[in-house]
Amino acid sequence: MAEVKLNGISKSYDQGKTWIIKDVNLEIHNGEFVAFIGPSGCGKSTLLRMICGLEDITTGEMHIDGELINDHPPHERQVGMVFQSYALYPHMTVAENMAFGLKLARADKSIIKQRVDEAARMLQLEPLLERKPKAMSGGQRQRVAIGRSIVQEPRVFLFDEPLSNLDVALRVQMRQELSQLHRRLKTTSIYVTHDQVEAMTLANRIVVLSPLQPGAKTNLEQVGGPLELYHHPANLFVAGFIGSPKMNFLNAELQQPGEEWSTIKLTSGETLKVAANTSSSACGSQVIIGIRPEHVLLLPDKKQDQTEKDNTVIATVSTLERLGSESFIYLDHDSVREYLIVRVTGSGLQNENDKLGIHLPPKQCHLFSAEGLAFSRTHKPELNTCQS
Amino acid sequence: MAMVQPRNLKYRVWYARIALWLFLALILFPFLMIISVSFRSGNFATGSLIPENPSLEHWYLAFGIPWENPDGSVTEPFFPVLLWLWNSIKVAFFSSILVLMLSTTGAYAFARLRFKFREHMLTAMMILQMFPAVLALVAIYTLFDKIGDYIPWLGINSLGSVTIAYIGGIALHIWLIKGYFETIDNSLEEAAAIDGATPWQAFRYVLLPLSVPILAVVFILAFIASIGEYPVASILLHSMDKLTLAVGSQQYLNPQNYLWGDFAAAAILSGLPITIIFLACQRWIVGGLTSGGVKG
Repeated sequence: MAEVKLNGISKSYDQGKTWIIKDVNLEIHNGEFVAFIGPSGCGKSTLLRMICGLEDITTGEMHIDGELINDHPPHERQVGMVFQSYALYPHMTVAENMAFGLKLARADKSIIKQRVDEAARMLQLEPLLERKPKAMSGGQRQRVAIGRSIVQEPRVFLFDEPLSNLDVALRVQMRQELSQLHRRLKTTSIYVTHDQVEAMTLANRIVVLSPLQPGAKTNLEQVGGPLELYHHPANLFVAGFIGSPKMNFLNAELQQPGEEWSTIKLTSGETLKVAANTSSSACGSQVIIGIRPEHVLLLPDKKQDQTEKDNTVIATVSTLERLGSESFIYLDHDSVREYLIVRVTGSGLQNENDKLGIHLPPKQCHLFSAEGLAFSRTHKPELNTCQS
Repeated sequence: MAMVQPRNLKYRVWYARIALWLFLALILFPFLMIISVSFRSGNFATGSLIPENPSLEHWYLAFGIPWENPDGSVTEPFFPVLLWLWNSIKVAFFSSILVLMLSTTGAYAFARLRFKFREHMLTAMMILQMFPAVLALVAIYTLFDKIGDYIPWLGINSLGSVTIAYIGGIALHIWLIKGYFETIDNSLEEAAAIDGATPWQAFRYVLLPLSVPILAVVFILAFIASIGEYPVASILLHSMDKLTLAVGSQQYLNPQNYLWGDFAAAAILSGLPITIIFLACQRWIVGGLTSGGVKG
């Protein structure tokens, strides 16, 4: 159990010419479960490997429990790591795999046995203790890998995409088990994943990283609780990354800034009201309005007079994805970046090239400046907005 | 296999078999001939494959037992063949062990560590290895001559010098083992490091046990190479009791009297340790040691 503190951590493989990770400041509290999430190439695995000592830290300071560990080799850091590839020792049995670290530390035989048995019981590995890794399934192997870190009683658990080699059903099951395990052991855990479902369900807090853009000060985009990231993304990157399908973005210009309500005009001409505080911005500045597919409302009928209603936009259906219980309608609209996606429950009875009126509820809209920073939302997000 | 086969397959299989038998005969014939020569009375290189007058004359002499000729005269063994064989085994065994130790650690460095001129050194080793050792004979001779002034058991005419000289040819082995190390996922050693292993412990307890097959192969290759090596041993060893079998058996081939029979018996004897080593190492040459460790 420990707290991990990252202070201005940066990583470069070529003496500072290009940076992979830049100026990451992060405090992970005792017993917390933190997920690092980001698209591939954002450096989340590298950051984890820096914490466990498999990569050296170019600049910045890393502390575990107040102890500066920048120059400690991995075996002095007392961290446990679970690899994506399991990385079990193929020539050893399950019991030997789990006991390896303790044996190296010359622990007492009775202690080794007791800890291995305990971990095996916790992970339901008891019948498999004498097996070699090649005689086990993927889920069992990953459990052994987890057991191997448990017996070491590390200060921090590190998980490097531990579930991405498992099939979907097993992944869901292991997710539950990991969550239970953390509740029981309460060890500080850091979990790297690209799967936002894993991050949202497992973590107390999520750290969103992005691939470092040229000129950017840091690639740490936002740190926050799962729902905080969903409802209050700090910038365009987080807004687009969290949530699936991703948030819709429409280009607009600020017509009337306000502290509680702002009025904006889409590049295609429609005027919309948004519950966001834009008092700091000037009238006429470029803004981007964002709304999640599940928050867009379809107007009940296709009558053209609906355009008169507030916050309504007419768009053309371009593609339909029907998944049975829900459908995604891809719409074309002039001011939209990429697509405008609407999620509806049911089987989506619309047709391609239909003209649809959609309503963007003002309290569900996000507003971003041209630089991609979010304006703070002034109303609590409403729940239960899906419709058929 | 349920693949559809053409109708004339049967004939083609037979052609292939005949061709393979012919090829096999070509390979085996010289070997059978040596055996035949060693059991032939008198020292004749030519003759039928199955000896007309089989005799154990050459084998008695090879094992150092006096041979009583049919006419009553007794032939004393000329040379200490068994001692030579023992010398060969000692040299081959110790040099192979040293080769193994140096080439595994060397290969580990080339496979896992990053350092300056790594690629260049690998290439340079490969190229240097291409020059035959014969070219360096003079250098080897003077080197060991000089070393012998200070360390007698490493000087000229000592088995130690030959053992050390044979370690020279490890570049190929380093390449071989390095290739094998690179097939073993790095994350295994990283896991060991996090488990608390020092780099040496990770190497010793994780990488080496997984590399046993290639280590066995390298040991056998090094052993075969040193058992059969002639040029270096022939200039370093002089006195009769220090020769290796490869050098010593040349003594049978005097310009005026080629003792083919005795030579053949000695040649077969030199194959004996190789066979034993191979049989002993064979059980370590297995596949699938690393399977199950990582998901690729």
